Amino acid sequence: MTTETAVAADEAAVMPGAVVPPAPPQRKRRRRERKDRAGYLFLLPWFIGMLFTIVPFFASLYLAFTDYNLLNPPQLIGFDNFVAMFSDPVLHKSLQVTFIYTFVSVPLSLAAALGVAMVLNRGIKGLPWYRAVFYLPSLLGASVAVVLLWRYVFGLDGIVNAFLGWFGMDAIAWTSDPDYALTTLIILHVWTFGSPMVIFLAGLRQIPTMYYEAAAVDGASKWRRFRSITLPLLSPIIFFNLIQSLIASFQTFTQGFVMNNGGGGPANSTLFYNLYLYQQGFGQFNMGYASAMAWTLLVIIAVFTALTFFSAKYWVNYDN
Amino acid sequence: MTSEQTPASPSDLNRRNLMKLSGLGLAAVPGLAACGRGFGGGGDDSGDGVTLNMVWWGDAVRAEKTQAALDLFMEANPGVNIEVEYQDSGPYQDKLATRFAAGDPPDLMAMRMDSLREYADRGALLDLNEHADAIDLSGLGESAATLAEVDGSVYGVPAGLNTIGFVIRKDFADQYGVAVPDGNTWSWDDLATFAKAISDASGGEVYGTGFDAQTLANLLVWTRQQGEDFFTEAGELGVTAATVEAWFSMIGGLRESGGYPPAGFFEEIGGGPDQSYVAQGKLASQIIPTNNFLGYNAACGGNLALLRIPGETQAVRRGQSIDCPHLWSVASQSKHPEEAIKLLDFLTNDPEASLATGTTRGVPANAAVAEEVKASLEPDDQLATDYLIALQGEDLPRSFTYPPGGSAIADFLDAVAVEVEFGRTTPAAGAAAFIEDAKAAIAG
Repeated sequence: MTTETAVAADEAAVMPGAVVPPAPPQRKRRRRERKDRAGYLFLLPWFIGMLFTIVPFFASLYLAFTDYNLLNPPQLIGFDNFVAMFSDPVLHKSLQVTFIYTFVSVPLSLAAALGVAMVLNRGIKGLPWYRAVFYLPSLLGASVAVVLLWRYVFGLDGIVNAFLGWFGMDAIAWTSDPDYALTTLIILHVWTFGSPMVIFLAGLRQIPTMYYEAAAVDGASKWRRFRSITLPLLSPIIFFNLIQSLIASFQTFTQGFVMNNGGGGPANSTLFYNLYLYQQGFGQFNMGYASAMAWTLLVIIAVFTALTFFSAKYWVNYDN
Repeated sequence: MTSEQTPASPSDLNRRNLMKLSGLGLAAVPGLAACGRGFGGGGDDSGDGVTLNMVWWGDAVRAEKTQAALDLFMEANPGVNIEVEYQDSGPYQDKLATRFAAGDPPDLMAMRMDSLREYADRGALLDLNEHADAIDLSGLGESAATLAEVDGSVYGVPAGLNTIGFVIRKDFADQYGVAVPDGNTWSWDDLATFAKAISDASGGEVYGTGFDAQTLANLLVWTRQQGEDFFTEAGELGVTAATVEAWFSMIGGLRESGGYPPAGFFEEIGGGPDQSYVAQGKLASQIIPTNNFLGYNAACGGNLALLRIPGETQAVRRGQSIDCPHLWSVASQSKHPEEAIKLLDFLTNDPEASLATGTTRGVPANAAVAEEVKASLEPDDQLATDYLIALQGEDLPRSFTYPPGGSAIADFLDAVAVEVEFGRTTPAAGAAAFIEDAKAAIAG
């Protein structure tokens, strides 16, 4: 084990992009080397994990071009799997579900995270406690237990319908009506804003208070201060959170899996892309098709991540 | 996606060698010992003995009963050790498929009816007809013996037999002054009348009936009653759009009359009989698998009557069929097929085995064994067993196995039934879409 990781670390050391300073003095270099070593030590878990995933990773790339039913050896079929994806209505439905989920829940959850972070940033008493409480749902968010709990909250006799009932509204089948099931999952997702919130909170504390003081002296309104000081100075953090949430959201699986016994129901309204991938691979034994789907998802995520990066120069403020 | 690392040759990697290899041998032992029992294990042969790996799904109660039977077998067959792995039904399919993909299939395994041909058609399962000298299947009734038959080959033995039945809460019938229909002769119209009467009399507190439109077992009976086979002998889709449409319309009519709950009522509440709507008192009747009758009746305070599915005497032909919760199949790659078949024979034909397992997987498939075991069962289990034995003695049309790709059909039905339930599509359009999808799935 130790020799393997050492090799991996050596390889990484000559990776392009590593900055090699032009012959620094002896002592400085040694200190730098020691610093590098610490960095690689922190990366070690990742390298070890990589060793276990690298083989399946490339195996699935190969399988994407095969007809593979898990029982018989894979047969190379070229691009057939990718072609078939164009005429698979269920796959298109799953893409639709995933896109709606991502583009609605990510902005909403980031807004919620920022809002709560700003409230907590006002220096209220017992901040660590509140921080922990608001973070808690994120720890539990995708877990089965919480989805089950939410089914009771959103059940026909659940809390939400009882609340609506006070206003004379009809009960809504939040989890079993195909028009509402995805909405319910989006609300659940927005609720788990803890981890971006903690990062926002850290970012907010970095903004020097003197900017706000100066603006206040000049008579800037609260909203003006938020728009002209908080948002620009926080934009790198928003950018980071956006990328993180986007990638995670495209890969959503558990919520749809738990919703309807692994079926993505009702009426495929919570059939996330990853869930359909899983159904194809392990339910229908179309492992070649599932692999092709996985690589397509990788491309989709890469494209949206790249777009976000590209857009960054228009709205992310990095100068100091 | 993580892959399970299976040592190429288990015997090279036994505990002692590893201990020698690693300076930290002592610390490693408990961990390794635990690994041996886990997923993909099976190399722990001691002496000349044979270790069989047997996998199935179920709960702790079923595990206890199964182990009792296996202990009897191991006692009678010294040198044979059985390593059992069981889990929840959800992840079971994935793990089984992965085991086959890794070239390390279990010797004896629980096989879902709708997956049978996915495995059998690809040569993954042993044809038991070729081992007729080792396993005697003559004790099985006609309908049980043909459950896993494909083109003259038999790829599994029913682990037990069950079917579906209609349960009615007698206490609600009494309370609302509605007579419980005659379970052997009632029609779908009788069901509608009964359901509406209960709903009306209870003022909407209790719905007269409620059963899933999207449960394939329910639609199968309906299809057979219309004179069609859901899957034909040639492995094609036999059900017509008209039959599926009629099914949706029949349920739609029940719903409109008020006897059946409104759209969105059924939620995936999970759990067993205790959480069922009939136990909660929200429904006066529903369809259940007969091997669960004891549990449901206990949850309903012993107030349940077990009826047949409606329409059996009025329909074109009989709809009900003998089914099984799962089959036992032997892997064609098993290293110990002889012992695996011997164990399968024991589980199927030895009354001792069935006395130990009871009816956790349904009524024993061997009719003589079923009769012998019956006396030792709880009264409710006896009632369900009688229900099934009576059905077995009748002339029921044969049901054919799911064709490969058939397991996707349940997903299609689920989606379409919900669309119809919420009025997002008409019964006719929904039925047509279902037939189209199902045909495409079977064609592969």
